[in-house]
Amino acid sequence: MTQLLLFNVFNGLIVGAFYALMALGLSLILNLSGVINFAHGGFLAIGAYLAYALMPTIGFWGALIVAPFLTALLGLVVERVLIRRLYGRDPLYSLLLTFGLAYILEDGTRYIWGAQSLPFPIPAWLTTPLSSEFFFLTGYRLFMVLLVAIAVGGLFLILNRTRLGIRIRAGTLDLETVSVLGVNIGVLRNLNFGLGIYLAGLAGVLAAGMLGLQPTIGTSLIMPSFVAIIVGGLGSLPGTLLGGLLIGVASGVTTVFFPSATEAVMYVMMGLVLLVRPRGLLGEEGRTQ
Amino acid sequence: MSNPESTTKPLQRRKVIQAAAGASLLQLATPFIIPARAADNVKIGLDNPLTGTYAAVGKNELIGCQLAIEQINAKGGINGRQAELLVEDSTSGDAGTAVQKARKLIERDKVDFLLGNVNSSLALAMAQVSAEKGVLHVVPGGHTDAVTGTSCHWNVFRICNTTQMEANAVTPSLIKNAGKKWYFITPDYSFGHTLQSGLEKACKANGGSTIGADLTPLGTTDFSSYLIKAQAAKPDVILFLTQGDDMINALKQAVQFGLDKRFHLAGGQQELEALEGLPPDARIGTWVFEWYWNQPGVPHVAEFVADIKKKTGRVPTARTWFGFASTWTCALAANNAKSLDAVKMAKALQGLKLPPEVALMPDGAFFREGQNQLIPDLYVGHAQAKGISEDDLFKVTEVVKGADIAGTLAETGCKMTWPS
Repeated sequence: MTQLLLFNVFNGLIVGAFYALMALGLSLILNLSGVINFAHGGFLAIGAYLAYALMPTIGFWGALIVAPFLTALLGLVVERVLIRRLYGRDPLYSLLLTFGLAYILEDGTRYIWGAQSLPFPIPAWLTTPLSSEFFFLTGYRLFMVLLVAIAVGGLFLILNRTRLGIRIRAGTLDLETVSVLGVNIGVLRNLNFGLGIYLAGLAGVLAAGMLGLQPTIGTSLIMPSFVAIIVGGLGSLPGTLLGGLLIGVASGVTTVFFPSATEAVMYVMMGLVLLVRPRGLLGEEGRTQ
Repeated sequence: MSNPESTTKPLQRRKVIQAAAGASLLQLATPFIIPARAADNVKIGLDNPLTGTYAAVGKNELIGCQLAIEQINAKGGINGRQAELLVEDSTSGDAGTAVQKARKLIERDKVDFLLGNVNSSLALAMAQVSAEKGVLHVVPGGHTDAVTGTSCHWNVFRICNTTQMEANAVTPSLIKNAGKKWYFITPDYSFGHTLQSGLEKACKANGGSTIGADLTPLGTTDFSSYLIKAQAAKPDVILFLTQGDDMINALKQAVQFGLDKRFHLAGGQQELEALEGLPPDARIGTWVFEWYWNQPGVPHVAEFVADIKKKTGRVPTARTWFGFASTWTCALAANNAKSLDAVKMAKALQGLKLPPEVALMPDGAFFREGQNQLIPDLYVGHAQAKGISEDDLFKVTEVVKGADIAGTLAETGCKMTWPS
């Protein structure tokens, strides 16, 4: 029993790391632009399918690098052409827009690549379990966690050390002042959106390696990311990371005791956090933007 | 303040939570198209998943329906009138949408026949509507026993097998090939529940036992925690009863974890759609197929395969055949009854044997009287990475006659009442 619990905690951390990667992208966009990006799951699917399409020519590693960038590029275009028009309006407008966009992206992948699930081959040396005891630690899952760690580290470096990152953080706190100080916030928001979508694309390629390709891949993964943001605390990126890991572990542990509630437990957690600590675990009091 | 872009309205936590609630709707609601149609056609309404986890199997059923419509019209139509297919997306898991679409097809489009659904729970919900409205309803591919069992209706016919029939067909092979201690990974809805209880019953009758079972929510993507639990119980066999993308995810992860080297991974129902979505090394295990395209020597099968290949470039699956046989059932009912009256048509279908060009099986298939359940052949065998061609992913080792494993009418629990 203890072993079973321990296994599930470990495994939950692996799964949670993945949720966190998605949630961080969502959170970035939400914090700076106030856009609840429903289409995040759609971009994730695009990233996955682009990698699938590119793989025959540039291989798995090439696709892993190129596909998220192409997805981010698409994100930049979408922000420039569609989302930008809705800044400053009620958040519900952008919500509706991205809601529709999510359908378009999902059905777009279905139209181009078909409704049928497709296998996504990954290098053979990554697919084997590392030990027979800890069989759930396959090379690929560790690789995923490693990559998530690198991506998260990179993101925090960008936010803390680069001019762009510092401006993004400043803009999150007070966009007007940043604008008055002469920063082009149109460009800032655009790049920030692209950065968020890059994370979605990366999550897509990683998810495809674990789950294979389905047009619904994004839709099924987006809900845990929303929950991660709310549990971790709106506006706090470390909170989002923590939220992702926590719900992963919670689902894993629930399997031991009450398997059919593994999904429900996330929402129960969300409800509890909202009741007891409405700003989320690491959210800051009074700052909900 | 002069720059409108610089003013962001404060985003409230409440909005985000509302949005999260909205996001769950994303998985349910879906739009679809209705083509223009002629008034005097005989209308067949298909209310089946085109989006969500069952989109792929739903599309294949649709293709089968479309081929049947072409054949029916080429052979003189239904009672001399052209047949026409109306299509609605029921979604993969939302009974509310499925029922609403069924009502729309019946009340607004005035269809003469209703077809659907892949999802057993949705099929049951639709059957309530069709029974209330007295419309002839054929369920192509929803397997839970109740459809032609305890919840049977005079107007509801079913093409695919009951879960109990599948369980009875595959269990002897499973016990022989894989072992007696079973652990189930079961999808948490009516299909999964009845397939599991059917297999447990058959397993016990064959001297085996169940040592554990987990219910997984429909649409689960990560099965690792269930697999951790299953292997800890040390069964002989881990049975995967999940379907569609859930089957692919579960089996794929089990093989990634190397569980195929320590346990037999198998299950009840398996489909070509799922095997195609799996990497070759995960195409393993003993299963039952309900129809298979590679049936050398069985009349008309090759033509059917060629016709479907011409339409889609791929071989037909059991789902394609379900859709095909369902649509033909409508035409046979009307043409045999020489009427579109639902009661007369339902009577005409009692005991009806499908003609060989529709049945496409070595022993044929017939509707059992008093249950409205098609009794076909079942194909027991094992998945394979690659057979005679890229599409040949299943090796049939035994064809089981449906009549031998269907049980008695009393066992099904169906007590049919006809309108007076």
